[in-house]
Amino acid sequence: MNDIKDRNVRSRISSFFTYLVMIFFTVMALYPLFWLVISSFKTTTEFQMNKLGFPRRWVTVNYKDAWVRGKFPMLIVNSFFYTGITTIAILVFSFMAGFGFAKIRHKATPILYGSFVIGILLTLQSIMVPLFLIVNWVGLYNTRLGVLIPYIGIGMPMGVYLGTEYIRSIPDALVESARIDGASYGRIFWAIVIPMAVPVAVTVAILTVTGTWNEFMLINILTSNDGLKSLPVGVQKFAGALSTDYGKQFAALTIGLIPMLLFYLVFRKEITKGVAAGAVKG
Amino acid sequence: MAKVNTMADTKREQRRAYWALVLPGFLLYIAVMAFPTIFSVVLSLTSYNGGKLFGGKPVEMVGLKWYVRLFGDEYFYRALKNNLWIVLVSVLGQIPLGFFLAYVLYRGLVRGKDFFQTMIYLPTVISTVVIGILWKSFFAPHGAFPELMRIFRPGYEYTMGSHPMIPVLFVILWMYSGMYMIIFMANLQKIDNAVIEAARIDGAGEMQVLRYVILPALSGVIVVTAILAISGSLKSFDLIYVMTGGGPANRTSVLSIYMFDKAFKGAPNYPLANAISTVMVIISFLLIGLTKFAEKKFGGRE
Repeated sequence: MNDIKDRNVRSRISSFFTYLVMIFFTVMALYPLFWLVISSFKTTTEFQMNKLGFPRRWVTVNYKDAWVRGKFPMLIVNSFFYTGITTIAILVFSFMAGFGFAKIRHKATPILYGSFVIGILLTLQSIMVPLFLIVNWVGLYNTRLGVLIPYIGIGMPMGVYLGTEYIRSIPDALVESARIDGASYGRIFWAIVIPMAVPVAVTVAILTVTGTWNEFMLINILTSNDGLKSLPVGVQKFAGALSTDYGKQFAALTIGLIPMLLFYLVFRKEITKGVAAGAVKG
Repeated sequence: MAKVNTMADTKREQRRAYWALVLPGFLLYIAVMAFPTIFSVVLSLTSYNGGKLFGGKPVEMVGLKWYVRLFGDEYFYRALKNNLWIVLVSVLGQIPLGFFLAYVLYRGLVRGKDFFQTMIYLPTVISTVVIGILWKSFFAPHGAFPELMRIFRPGYEYTMGSHPMIPVLFVILWMYSGMYMIIFMANLQKIDNAVIEAARIDGAGEMQVLRYVILPALSGVIVVTAILAISGSLKSFDLIYVMTGGGPANRTSVLSIYMFDKAFKGAPNYPLANAISTVMVIISFLLIGLTKFAEKKFGGRE
């Protein structure tokens, strides 16, 4: 009897410590973000005297200033534009290629598909300088197209890989019977393949949206016109220039934080699934 | 005329459909990734440094000149050393921590699994720009960190200059451990629960289940994540670029920042920058070869 009681006490203690550890890591993860958000409601003068506590007076003037002076409405529209077009284009082009690779026999497939798979391993840094030079030569420097084409191309390998592997699992018989009924490949793609590939399309879309929205290096070197920049670049420029006006800097960072935070809270199940799928393959 | 669908017609249509489907994506990929990668290697062997490719200053092949320069540059080794620090923190910090968190959640040792998972993964999804500037302010002399330290040690003075890599490494650990947690969670869920139950019925304790059931089942995943962490560490760029820009005095620089500086800061030296990125690609391909090898060797037991 005593033994069981003893074990109960022990397991309670260990459970208590497990909770303690988990809560510690959660607090560690959240505290800096929390600190950022409460600091953004302080005036710079207050922040200098009160760096850790809650604001004595919550002010929103930082947000008003940052919103207007940082041109955030325009940056957010730009970010939606780049992310939206890139995501749709990657989905369409990579699933088209995936359909071709998976369902039409062709002797070029091993080479073409293989080259995409190698592409998953290539990194942004290794193409940054050549891309910059090429975009300049073809006259796409400082244009939206000059940002979109690289974004789309960079996302292709992962999209083609995940798309092809998934479309392979669609039964051949479905495609063949549609062919016998006289459907064209284009029609089969839109009416059969796309609807059936929705789960993997969600994964590819999630990976693309998070990657494109947060990207700031490439767009920084491919454009110099402020009107073409995206939200992360704007945040960096605005917050960097105001390194002593802490209140506005924190407000700008909070504005930069919110879109991805919302996206994550809404799609967290899909995001974690997509990351697990994308990462292990990489 | 009656429409006759001969075999040859279908074949031809099939071929046409194949190229129509595959070509747009393939051309984009070639233009944006494959060609620039090869081009980068070629440029690293030349004297080309911007301007017109034809008709301008003639471009000469200079062989391995830039590589010789690179391997003789002290800055290169400093950057490489910092990369290795990041590798160390990733492999010995992020992976064990990620595994520990995943394990606790997977085994149901705490309630509120969804809550903990959501919160701990949160830093990974936020823009690197926001994270970088946030932590820069946090660790700055005017920031929260010195203030927090003063609660425990009054009169604490903090200087970023003393060990500039420590905050960077800390933030890397903070930001990405959640990713490894997610990867391990996904793979832990693939383990057949019946095996664990059977081990429990046979009297195995928590530690024994971990040691004899779960770790062997995950050996392949652990190897793959290790290589992922290594190659990810060699590429790390965004966070450091925003947080320190490689400073002070290049003491937090890494290979990719070294490359970026050579290409886009001050007078550009594109060939040297391309030599750096080529070295990075070679290192990362070697590592990928290692993954394949390790997968074959350890992954088979799953």
